[in-house]
Amino acid sequence: MIKRLFTIALISALAVSAQAKEIKLLNVSYDPTRELYQDYNEAFAKYWKGKTGDDVTVAQSHGGSGKQAQSVINGLEADVVTLALAYDIDAIAGQAKLLPKDWATRFPDKSTPYTSTIVFLVRKGNPKNIKDWDDIIKPGITVVVANPKTSGGARWAYLAAWSYALENNNHDQAKARDYITQVYKHVPVLDSGARGATVTFAQREIGDVLLAWENEAHLALKEFGADKFDIVTPSISILAEPPVAVVDKVAKRHGTLEVSKAYLEYLYSDEGQDIAGKNFYRPRSAAAAAKYASQFAQLKLVNVDDEFGGWTKAQATHFADGGTFDQIYQH
Amino acid sequence: MNRRHPVNVRNQKLRLADIRRPYLKNEMKIKLLSTLLGVQIAFTAFAADDADIEALKQQIQALDQKVRILERQRENDEDTAATAAKSAPRISLGASGFAFSSGDSNFVAQLHGLIQLDSRTFFEDHGIRGNDSFLLRRARPIFTGTVWHDFDFNFTPDFGGNTVQILDAFINYRYDPALQLQLGKYKSPVGLENLQTDSYLLFNERSLATELVPNRDLGAALHGDLFQGTLNYWAGIFDGSSDYNGTTTNSAFQDNKALAARLFAQPWKNSSVSWLQGLGFGVGGSYESEDATNTISNGLTPGYTSDGQQKWFSYSSGVFASGNQWRISPQGYYYYGPLGIEGEYVVSDQNVQKGGAKADLQNTAWEISGSWVLTGEDASFNGVTPRHPFDPRKNQWGAFQLVARFAELDVDSAAFPTFATTASSAKSAEAWSAGLNWYLNRNIRANASFSRTTFDGYTGPTGTAPGQAENTFFTRLQLAF
Repeated sequence: MIKRLFTIALISALAVSAQAKEIKLLNVSYDPTRELYQDYNEAFAKYWKGKTGDDVTVAQSHGGSGKQAQSVINGLEADVVTLALAYDIDAIAGQAKLLPKDWATRFPDKSTPYTSTIVFLVRKGNPKNIKDWDDIIKPGITVVVANPKTSGGARWAYLAAWSYALENNNHDQAKARDYITQVYKHVPVLDSGARGATVTFAQREIGDVLLAWENEAHLALKEFGADKFDIVTPSISILAEPPVAVVDKVAKRHGTLEVSKAYLEYLYSDEGQDIAGKNFYRPRSAAAAAKYASQFAQLKLVNVDDEFGGWTKAQATHFADGGTFDQIYQH
Repeated sequence: MNRRHPVNVRNQKLRLADIRRPYLKNEMKIKLLSTLLGVQIAFTAFAADDADIEALKQQIQALDQKVRILERQRENDEDTAATAAKSAPRISLGASGFAFSSGDSNFVAQLHGLIQLDSRTFFEDHGIRGNDSFLLRRARPIFTGTVWHDFDFNFTPDFGGNTVQILDAFINYRYDPALQLQLGKYKSPVGLENLQTDSYLLFNERSLATELVPNRDLGAALHGDLFQGTLNYWAGIFDGSSDYNGTTTNSAFQDNKALAARLFAQPWKNSSVSWLQGLGFGVGGSYESEDATNTISNGLTPGYTSDGQQKWFSYSSGVFASGNQWRISPQGYYYYGPLGIEGEYVVSDQNVQKGGAKADLQNTAWEISGSWVLTGEDASFNGVTPRHPFDPRKNQWGAFQLVARFAELDVDSAAFPTFATTASSAKSAEAWSAGLNWYLNRNIRANASFSRTTFDGYTGPTGTAPGQAENTFFTRLQLAF
């Protein structure tokens, strides 16, 4: 009798708790993706509603990619992460063990549904005549870039500059280091994230050149007006591949594993790729890439795996505590 | 902030579209600065050549950049400090006790306390020695907290009275407000008055109705709040407990378990109809099938006590619980402004056995209590918060509340004479009480009340309860935080 009553009570309680409810996801992302995911979340919610009848609301959290990864490691309950570089997701997998180490194999293109690169944003008319990486270390030039210890975009920018120095110095690492040292002597303030650096350059009117994500530079033109800034494409830059991943353990705990996977898969759909292109990210799909080709300059893009031996090595060499950046940056 | 989605609100505002307006504002400032600069340069032009003007212009621009950089660095430093403050552990101290919390609030430890210093004075007790006393009724450090965000805990020992005991020791997992699982030792979800927190009780002692409900018990229960908190449910399996027993144990040596459940609704809690918001009603109950061979105790109450805590009924020696035991308790309360009314009715049905004699005894009790806050504050199930905490220097005196109660307990007449004897037990008791509660502030309360309990059916010696009516004057000074 007791067992029967208890079973009834248990089933009743579970039935009540299982009543239809809105699905909530948390996407922990890096700094300049606010606009991208605002558009994308709306599109995905419509898609998911049509497919399943369920309402899904995706909350966004943004900040420097490294900082965001650390927040997830420290307990921020992200269902998915869409960060600036693979190393930051590797850190979540390695330190917090919230997802498997082979997370990058789960979606196409090493789980990077779009790419980007680093360009220069300068004042309108380019008054300091900045055309390539050599120009940013000329006397009197002030460079704005975020802190590579906390910002993924800043790490990409650092490696882009390093790649240029290598290419122009017969791959002499010492000369590349000298060049990077010079670059950061021209950086008066380090923001923690790429968006902060944009604010420093565009709103606070500090500096002559912003080392910016390509999408962020285009967005600045769109939002502040093309009469305020120009985009300068250097001769060489880096192929930035921002990755995405489901945070398995958190999503399982929240009961959102299925929808989290679908959320990231949909980034590769025609609509997802189109939204990426609209927001000045370089789409992976050939159709979307062709559609938005005119808004992206052609330049030589260096691959982090080829030039730096992958993110793990690059991180250890340049950005880990005591690494090259710590050695060369003078506070 | 949504606990699952602690979105970085400050950074959310960093949409480029949102920062455009300040930029335009800034642009105006710059234009003004440029104009002034132009004027200054124009004046300077009278005294200097073009090269000097250019040098001066560059110098001003350089200084302007330096100022901007310093300002930006200060902003970044403030951001860093704010971020560090968010992740730093927090300590707070206030009327609700001490609290220690991790920066992300995933780990919280709180220390509360309850001290009740009582006095009981019995009138017309024919000079019986030793029953008028000051006493430390309750003295409890209360440790509560949360680990890993969803797991709450409570550990409450009691050093009051004559026995040190663990009152509460439980862990509660919050999957959702609607679905929680609590395991450990805590109050069995049956009686309304019993479930009211000790520091919020209207009188020093609970009424006769609570004598028939289970006290704290060990077990596991699902519980939660449904429909925006308008319906609370509990359903659990417990060791099983006899009618109210003030001294609770940490184990139960019996095979049979009890089911206890309670539904309590406050349908208009969230409505705009203010006079219905404080209406709550529900029903609690328990069921247990007890086999005398499966328990090493007799499974019966150690006795029913009066308001003055004098025992007036107990089963005779050799009587055991045997067979089904069930309780049901319809209950409710109503609060509107300074008015408060609480009431419950309890049936405790107990199968008993003595030798070859068996009986199904049904004891019943009920109580109703009312209160009125003279100083106008709202009454509630969770006490009264004075509008003007006690501070005579400011002519503030706290809150005063008048309280009254009537309660009755009837023992099944079939209990006599086989299972209980009128030579030592009464067949029923009635009690009325009235008093005044003084809430000096949220933490300190003083109260005084008078209670008269009369007994019926007792045939033993007179001179003490239940041989005569009990008239007791209570006082209490309470610290609760």
